[in-house]
Amino acid sequence: MSIPFQEPVPEAARLSPRLLLIDPIRVLPSLLVPLAGVLVAGGFSPRSFIWAALGVAGSVLYAVVRWATFSYTITAGRLELSRAFIGRSTRVIPLERIRGVDVTTPFLHRLLGLAVLKLDTGAGGDKQEGELDGITVEEAERLRAVLLSRHHAVIAPERQARPAAPHDHVFLKVPRAWLRYGPLSGAYLFTPFALVAGAVGLAFQWGGELGLDEDDAVAVGEWLWGHPLLLIGAAVVLVVLMPFLGAAMYAFFNWNFVLFGRGDHLVAERGLINRRVVSLERRRIRGYEIAESPLERRARVARLWAVVTGLGDSQTRGQLLPVAPRAAVGDIAAEAVGPFSEALRPHPPAARRRRLFRAIAPWVALALVMYALGYALIGVAATVLAVAGIALGLDRYRSLGHTYDGTRLSVRSGSLRRAQAVVERRAVVGWTIEQTWFQRRAGLVTVIAGVGAGSGGYKAIDAGETQAAAFAAEVTPDWMAPFLKR
Amino acid sequence: MRDALRDPANQVSPRARSLWFAEAVIVTVLLVVGLVLLSMWMTGWEFLPQWLLDRTWVAALAIGLVLVPFVLAEPVVRFAVHRWELAADVVYARSGWLSRKWVFVPVSRIQTVDKAQGWLERFFGLATVEIRTASYAGSSTIKGLDYEVAARLAEELSRRAQELRDDAT
Repeated sequence: MSIPFQEPVPEAARLSPRLLLIDPIRVLPSLLVPLAGVLVAGGFSPRSFIWAALGVAGSVLYAVVRWATFSYTITAGRLELSRAFIGRSTRVIPLERIRGVDVTTPFLHRLLGLAVLKLDTGAGGDKQEGELDGITVEEAERLRAVLLSRHHAVIAPERQARPAAPHDHVFLKVPRAWLRYGPLSGAYLFTPFALVAGAVGLAFQWGGELGLDEDDAVAVGEWLWGHPLLLIGAAVVLVVLMPFLGAAMYAFFNWNFVLFGRGDHLVAERGLINRRVVSLERRRIRGYEIAESPLERRARVARLWAVVTGLGDSQTRGQLLPVAPRAAVGDIAAEAVGPFSEALRPHPPAARRRRLFRAIAPWVALALVMYALGYALIGVAATVLAVAGIALGLDRYRSLGHTYDGTRLSVRSGSLRRAQAVVERRAVVGWTIEQTWFQRRAGLVTVIAGVGAGSGGYKAIDAGETQAAAFAAEVTPDWMAPFLKR
Repeated sequence: MRDALRDPANQVSPRARSLWFAEAVIVTVLLVVGLVLLSMWMTGWEFLPQWLLDRTWVAALAIGLVLVPFVLAEPVVRFAVHRWELAADVVYARSGWLSRKWVFVPVSRIQTVDKAQGWLERFFGLATVEIRTASYAGSSTIKGLDYEVAARLAEELSRRAQELRDDAT
């Protein structure tokens, strides 16, 4: 299929030379501090002026070099950004992969008729994906048209073809009774301590205005230290308050949680006073993630997030349900993504040894050092933690697993926060297999499915070597087949 | 992994050994010089016991001696481990030294292709190709390539990435 496409002149273009005015102005503030120092320390001697002039000249030179060494080219369906000074680098971005173009005009740029053009390719990570800082506004508009012309021709029909989902269909209104599960997640349990810390902070902040100073604070501290029973009592009260205040805080944020469909969006609404509304485009949802603490597992409840492409801060914004019974979690996950019931395949016994070693060994080492140094109390505490590590390590091993049901893959790990991710095969953009020196001794690897959504990668930790390669090959046979040993 | 995956077809440039050696030497020298400077500075620390003050140079010497075998081994091991291949429109690259990493990046999911050459790489006539997709776990950095090879690979990858339609993500 050929797309009508206005081919631009394929010659390297530079940023506008007007940019040379911006950079020196922008660096000036960073020069002011040392400059002031030079002027103050050196007085009005000629030398200080020389230093100041050298600083300005340096920034101008830097700006000129940056400008002169950078160029961009649009040619044969791709954008090339290149920089060449001592080192050389070229970034090639196929125009087809450009998802969005963002033109902004900061204050200085606006004065000079310049603009910043940022490219969104959907490439992961925090690295800049592509930026043209300092082209004329007209050039920015021209480039936007050129860069996006293909994109629209390809994407637009696809959008129209999708049937509209039913309007405002409520999937779940979370009953008040479920609020009691809130404290099980653990996150809200520390509310009392957070409140006390906040109160102490406020006291310090306002104390000065009420005529109290550090001596008073020290006096209060000493008085408290002199009454240990009072301190212990306060600590006990705080600990007793943990579940209650935690529940109250949880209820405050998750009051009347409603999940409903509006058009082709999933909308989650919650909150007692501030209603927080997050809407997720359904066609961008690629999977889900379920997390449970040990307490939640015992109570058969869990938390649920959607794995969505192009959604930053997915841990808070992707939340589909507050702490809810497993059955409800399963229903909503099936509704949002699709049913998944495939059993997880366990990892080799070597993985159990590794989980146990990692859960126990640090505490044993700490205990030995503390006994040797004569801190018996800390030694005992470390020994207790080492014993607890046996249960933790075994549970961590039981959590490990991965599977594939033909359309979705799933991986699970963790104990105190056991998390299972279920991700569609089409969301996978690549594989990474990692092996540390210790894993190599044990014949294990960590296989990571690269996904352009959610956290970016979903790990099957400590899988067997052959198992890991077979897993990747099962999910994406076309990609892996040429590299497998038969 | 020897039973599961075959080696990628291509080795990196033999000059990459020189690059890794130079990098390791630079890091080691900086570390040892830093420790020597620290030990010279520490002689003024009255609160430390005298036996320690007399021997502040030991740390610099010990670190230097411990690192020497690593500096010598790293280039050789890396040259054996680092390999790459472009087959069936998938980039397969292996890297690592004490640890290992295998990366598979299908060309159809590539978002950007970078070809970069730092000043040390330029000195040895080497370059790095960095391939990025929408995920960190689907992105690969191939170091130590001959400059011509890197240029050809980057060109080939961006050409194929344009031809193949990205159907998902």
